[in-house]
Amino acid sequence: MYGMIHRAVRQMIHDQLGEEAWQALEKKLDIGPTELLTAMVYDDELTFRIVGEASARLNLSVDECLFAFGQYWIKYAESGSLASIMNFTGATLASFIDNLDRLHLAVGAAMPGARLPNFTMLEHDTGRIVVEYRSERTGMDQFVSGLFHGLMLKFHTKGSVTILSRTDGALVFEILYQDED
Amino acid sequence: MLLTFSDEQVCALLPAFLHIDQKLKITAMGPGIPKHLPEVQIGMALADAFDILNYDVTQFFKAVSDIKPLQLVSKCGKVNLFGAALIHDGGYLLAVRFAMSDQMLASGDLHLSDFGHADPVIQSTLLIALQRAMLDDAQATAVELAHERKRGEELLDRMSRIAGYMAHDFNNLLSIIKLNTDRLLRSFGSDDRISNLANIIQVTAARGSDITQSLMTISQQRTDTLSPIGIDDIVRENSAFLVSVAGAGIDLIFDLQAGDRKSVISYNGFLNCIINLLINAREAMPQGGRINLSTSVSRGLVGSTSNDHALHAGEFIAIRIADNGTGLNESLLSRAFEPLFSSKPNGSGLGLASVRDFAVDMGGDVWLESQAGEGATVYLHLPVAEGATSTATIPELTAAPEQHAQVPGKKSILLVEDEPYALEALLEMLEGEGYAVTPCSTADQAMRALEQNAYHLLLSDIVMPGQNGTDIARQACAGQPSIKVILMSGYVPDSASLQPGWMFLRKPMDSGELLTLISNAV
Repeated sequence: MYGMIHRAVRQMIHDQLGEEAWQALEKKLDIGPTELLTAMVYDDELTFRIVGEASARLNLSVDECLFAFGQYWIKYAESGSLASIMNFTGATLASFIDNLDRLHLAVGAAMPGARLPNFTMLEHDTGRIVVEYRSERTGMDQFVSGLFHGLMLKFHTKGSVTILSRTDGALVFEILYQDED
Repeated sequence: MLLTFSDEQVCALLPAFLHIDQKLKITAMGPGIPKHLPEVQIGMALADAFDILNYDVTQFFKAVSDIKPLQLVSKCGKVNLFGAALIHDGGYLLAVRFAMSDQMLASGDLHLSDFGHADPVIQSTLLIALQRAMLDDAQATAVELAHERKRGEELLDRMSRIAGYMAHDFNNLLSIIKLNTDRLLRSFGSDDRISNLANIIQVTAARGSDITQSLMTISQQRTDTLSPIGIDDIVRENSAFLVSVAGAGIDLIFDLQAGDRKSVISYNGFLNCIINLLINAREAMPQGGRINLSTSVSRGLVGSTSNDHALHAGEFIAIRIADNGTGLNESLLSRAFEPLFSSKPNGSGLGLASVRDFAVDMGGDVWLESQAGEGATVYLHLPVAEGATSTATIPELTAAPEQHAQVPGKKSILLVEDEPYALEALLEMLEGEGYAVTPCSTADQAMRALEQNAYHLLLSDIVMPGQNGTDIARQACAGQPSIKVILMSGYVPDSASLQPGWMFLRKPMDSGELLTLISNAV
């Protein structure tokens, strides 16, 4: 995955456990600033090692950590250098999810080599979105679920995310949501 | 080819389109218009909602051809639209889209859904925004890397200092062991058993000294000694090696005329200078040639460009290295001693710079004369050590001598050492050699002694509580200009803190070397 993901994991560890915890993680994995270059595409194995180590330090299972990180990623992106892009992508939960593929097209152009997922909105009614997620990667269910939860928070809504179906390379999520009181 | 689109399709492709009739009234519009300009209504005159920037509105549609570029600004001024006007369905289709700018992107007023799916502006806008974000992150990473490097350097520096302090303390202990073992040998050396045990201690102390030397090398400290050395002797001792440095095809001709004149320098430092200068000369003569290495004694620094007038007095050993190579033009000559500057493709630019640092540290100077195509001559001048050419005189005493008064016929030494066991051993050794020694264990005692007596020699430790040895030496030289100075320490001082002519011995010292140095000095 690309370095901006690693930067976000680092920020999450900083926020929750402090700088020293991240330094200890770096030391254990023998990594440093050169593994945190935003536009650099790294081997997924490195990313999973980082997430694995982060989950141990956060006292979470890997799935719980992926979920927490998915949720955190939205917060990280909208408060950092990607803020304007996040705002531009959509003004509502539905429009944001609907535009994710268009956003990823631009990301792919900016970062050749990045393997980006596809999001297709299959249904959209009031308070309900059904979206298909496709990716070359497997094992990211909880991360994507966390992303949707993060987006619900971003758009001041609350609700649930469930997986409706799994097929080869595709997951269908149902998001039920309503505005926060 | 005729293409027909549904309203929904047009809205998807051109979310900000407008349709006007021939009376220039708005008859339809894309979803982006009411979203961003709720005041614009169907049936409204185009001119009441927008200004057309690139044409006079009254003329524009009279003269419109099938397709014409168009730029609109809303009356409220916050929305810019651009695209083209097309004759369509008894009116005009204004196929326009929102103009994107940095401000619009930053404001968050516009979103992806306000643009058509095939709109290339989206890709370029997102691409630029992403690249900016990456640039911001790259800048943050560069700062992180710089901090990381600085942290590493600071850590290394701390470690280096700790290694230096440890080496100093360990050297002091070794010095005490060595001096007292010498003392043991002097007193009881005739007893084979004691002599053997003392030798074992000596050898072990020497091995300990090797370890501290390694520690000091790791901590990037100088480990050399400063003592009066005959320049001609160094060149002579190393002549075979210097010939091989000059290389095959080059005649290295020696003409050594400095005689027994000595300069207080570091042996290895001087040899490094000569090697650097020979390598430069050799590289200026790829086809071979001749190098003349000569020494002589000169008064003042004739030819030096130094502005330090103090340097232009006194006797110097002049080392001259001349080659008949390619030489340097005026611009290269003016930068020759600049650190990191080199006229050679693979040159480090450190050779001549380090020669100059050495020369200046030793109280001398170096300069270069050359013309393109006519070879180059380097002049390295080092001050002649006074003790090597004349006998020091003791100034008249103005105060009555206190303890350890001057003893007629004996050379007087002010000995300053804060380690009592080292002081005791040195005192016994020097007195045994016939010197009149005033021992002091603090700088204050030494300063008082200097006020009351004149001395031939100051032999002082450097690192001591309160004033250090270099401070004492500076004040001793100010009050008694003829006094000779030998400083000793387990920690090699920065050469900038030593004055030219001062000698330096690294602890643990060899008693024989110390006695020779003292004997030569006084």
